[in-house]
Amino acid sequence: MNEDYIHIVLADDDEDDRLFFTDAFEELKITTKVQTYNDGVYLMDYLNSEDAILPNVLFLDLNMPRKNGMECLKEIKANEKFADIAIAIYSTSASEEDIENTFIHGANIYIKKPDNFKKLKKALSEVVTINWQYHTSGLNKDNFLLRL
Amino acid sequence: MPLKSIYRAPWFVKAVFVISFFLIFFVAGVTYKNMSDLSDSSDLVTEKYEVAIELEQILSYLKDAETGQRGFVIIKDSTYLEPYFSGRENINNSLAELKELIKDEPEQGQNLIELNFLIDNCLANLEQVQRFILKEQNNINSPAFEPLFARGKKIMDQIRAKIKVMLDVQNKKLEINQKEYENNLKVTPIFLYLLMLLSLLLLIGAYFKIISNLKKLEASNQALELFKESANQSEIVSKHGNWTWNIEKDTFSFSDNLYRLLGEEPHSFAPTIANFMKFVHPEDLEKLSAQVEEMKENENLPFIYYRVIHKNGTIKHLKAYGKVVVSGENRRNLLGTTTDITDEIESFRALEKRNLELERNNKELSAFNHVASHDLQEPLRKIQTFLSRLEDKEEDNLSESGLKYMSRIKNAATRMRLLIDDLLQFSRTNKADKVFEVSNINLLLEGAKQDLAEVIARENATINADAFPVINVIPFQIQQLFANLIGNSLKYKSEDRTPEINITYEMVKTESEKLLTNATADSYHKIEFKDNGIGFDNEYAERIFVLFNRLHNKDEYTGTGIGLSICKKIIENHQGFIFANGETGVGATFTIYIPVV
Amino acid sequence: MKLFVKFDFNAVCTKVLTEKLDALDVKYNLLGFGEVELLEKLSSEKYAAFTNALSEYNIEIVENQKSILVQKIKDTIIDMVFNEETIVNVKTSAYLADTLEHSYGYLSNLFSEVTYTSIENFIILQKIEYTKQLIIEGNLSLTEIAFQLNYSSVAHLSTQFKNTTGITPSAFQRIITKRREIQQNN
Repeated sequence: MNEDYIHIVLADDDEDDRLFFTDAFEELKITTKVQTYNDGVYLMDYLNSEDAILPNVLFLDLNMPRKNGMECLKEIKANEKFADIAIAIYSTSASEEDIENTFIHGANIYIKKPDNFKKLKKALSEVVTINWQYHTSGLNKDNFLLRL
Repeated sequence: MPLKSIYRAPWFVKAVFVISFFLIFFVAGVTYKNMSDLSDSSDLVTEKYEVAIELEQILSYLKDAETGQRGFVIIKDSTYLEPYFSGRENINNSLAELKELIKDEPEQGQNLIELNFLIDNCLANLEQVQRFILKEQNNINSPAFEPLFARGKKIMDQIRAKIKVMLDVQNKKLEINQKEYENNLKVTPIFLYLLMLLSLLLLIGAYFKIISNLKKLEASNQALELFKESANQSEIVSKHGNWTWNIEKDTFSFSDNLYRLLGEEPHSFAPTIANFMKFVHPEDLEKLSAQVEEMKENENLPFIYYRVIHKNGTIKHLKAYGKVVVSGENRRNLLGTTTDITDEIESFRALEKRNLELERNNKELSAFNHVASHDLQEPLRKIQTFLSRLEDKEEDNLSESGLKYMSRIKNAATRMRLLIDDLLQFSRTNKADKVFEVSNINLLLEGAKQDLAEVIARENATINADAFPVINVIPFQIQQLFANLIGNSLKYKSEDRTPEINITYEMVKTESEKLLTNATADSYHKIEFKDNGIGFDNEYAERIFVLFNRLHNKDEYTGTGIGLSICKKIIENHQGFIFANGETGVGATFTIYIPVV
Repeated sequence: MKLFVKFDFNAVCTKVLTEKLDALDVKYNLLGFGEVELLEKLSSEKYAAFTNALSEYNIEIVENQKSILVQKIKDTIIDMVFNEETIVNVKTSAYLADTLEHSYGYLSNLFSEVTYTSIENFIILQKIEYTKQLIIEGNLSLTEIAFQLNYSSVAHLSTQFKNTTGITPSAFQRIITKRREIQQNN
């Protein structure tokens, strides 16, 4: 890949999940830089700060205290500045309602947190590579929907 | 039947009376005419006799005068001339009388003038004779006397003749009159009699008509009385009362039950609006008064709701409706109905309370479901993920028993995951917001097959399906149903043969399906899933749909016992039926009925 | 008001490239598939300015030979998928080998090495991408789309669509429609 690394940000209030997430990326062969935030408020503070490096892919847990994933999603989609960020929802829930609703509000990817570390690695790898294709191969980002 | 219809016509009595009135008026007129004719005739008779008397008198006066004159001629005594002198005066009187009597008859008038002339002649002749006697000194034998005398006689004859003519004329007239009168007298009574008879008939008709009308009136009065009584009873049973308000006179009448609605004996107080308002709940008083005012002006107002307080303090809820009815000469009456809806309101409130409780229960249940399935998933997922990490990284460091324990933990966790997923699905099937859509069932089956693509490929299963029509269903639930049934068949496949599932479709009439005993619709979509798996004993055909019910040990077959419960739930959501039929070792058939709408 | 536009990625890029090259005042040949032959040497300042101008459009000059070849593979595939006439009859591996004058095995390995994905996957991705575009345009039914993209059946296309995106074609269409409704309301 042509950039030095892929910039990835995760907002999740669950410590174990953040651990699985960073561990998974460490074990993947793709060069990535992963940042994690403990909830939506911390995340938005970071994204809105002036010197923020905007991520290529942003992973959002839906169920978070203070500001949940859906609120973050709406805020991000309302701001032109964040138009290039691919948004992945990263949630325990797999209800059709949640999935369709987040897609409708502009999410690109929906990942149900897997119950197996191998599956997690596979899913994250898929997200990154497909996102990369959308980034480099002239695919229409507006039509980018992926459910894992 | 024109006669009958005339008789029945409402204007019949009126017409009879008008006709009879005119008939009697006519009869009276005719009678009057006859009477006056009669009196005319008798007048004529009287007139005739008077005329005759006068004429006879004139003749007798003339005779007297002649006789006197003759006496004078013979005796030469001038006292004999007395009748002559008085006779002249009397004749003139009689002539005047006559003239008066016959003044309307020109013919007799002419005769009278002639008579008068003859009388004058006669008298003049008598005078000549007289003078002759005085001059000739009783020389009756003179030749000049003779013609004079003769002439006197001749005139006298002429007078007699004239009088006779006059009397004849009078007689003739009387005769004609008499004849006419007789004719009249013959015809009129019959005519009058017939007329009277006719009006009598008419009056009899009218009488019967009136009698029958009266009977009808009485009958309808009785019916009305009966109706009033039944209205009274229905008012009591249905707890409503009626009132009428004559707006012009500002008088009221209340039905008996209206008093009862207020907790009072019928007619225990004067029916006035002020008395009524005494019972109305103070909070509703203003509103009700305003609405009553409005009722007077507008028609077709909505129902009025208000409360009344009985003397014993009970509060009742009333519902009222009023309508202005204009009858006759602009008499405006406000007719109203008032119903006691206390029971309704109370049961409505009870129902509301029950609903609220149910809603709360449902919310709690769904919250519980959410916690049970959603929140339980998170720790379980972590257990599983950590297990997978442990397996990857530490497998080599574990003892054999350690590995065995880990495998057991993994199985338990997997089973727990299965249970949670199925529970979640079951609770979703329960959810209230089900959206029916006219759906292509073929596509839903295709979707279900896609969901199970892996296992279908692994088992090398054959699925044959008829073509389905579009049906109004909850699409994702039907897809779920298909997936569950196909999944079920594949799970309980026979080891001896490759799985084959035949799905058939048919639209059926309810009466031709012996399985449908409680069906409400006339016809159903019948979908049958028939497999060649291990089947089951029909003894358990009912039990397999019960939640958490399993026919097999969980070591033999994985599963939670929720799948078929979900199927039943889904079919119930569609007001349909699902039946299972099995034969051990041969296969199972699941039959689904979805109502045709 | 929101407008939805459809654009030809290649045409836009070519146009941008032409404009920027013209601005450089150098002689060049456009070879297609994102390849440019410069007929004279560029000064380092001009080269920096050119890179800068292109970066505005997120267009990068690919220097690595492998990357160039991968880009050529991608462009060939995109052209093949989006060109409705060739897709019907051509076997992709032979077509790629012929066009790019390398063995298919070499191309396949190279592609996987650089992109972490296979050529087959990339083709599927492009086909699904084309399907998405056709679904959104709404002129063709799914059956017609399946025929045009040389799928054996609608079911096959649906399955591949679902495997690639995780959602069914109809869910995709529903989501995009609702998304646009929301955007239009804002």
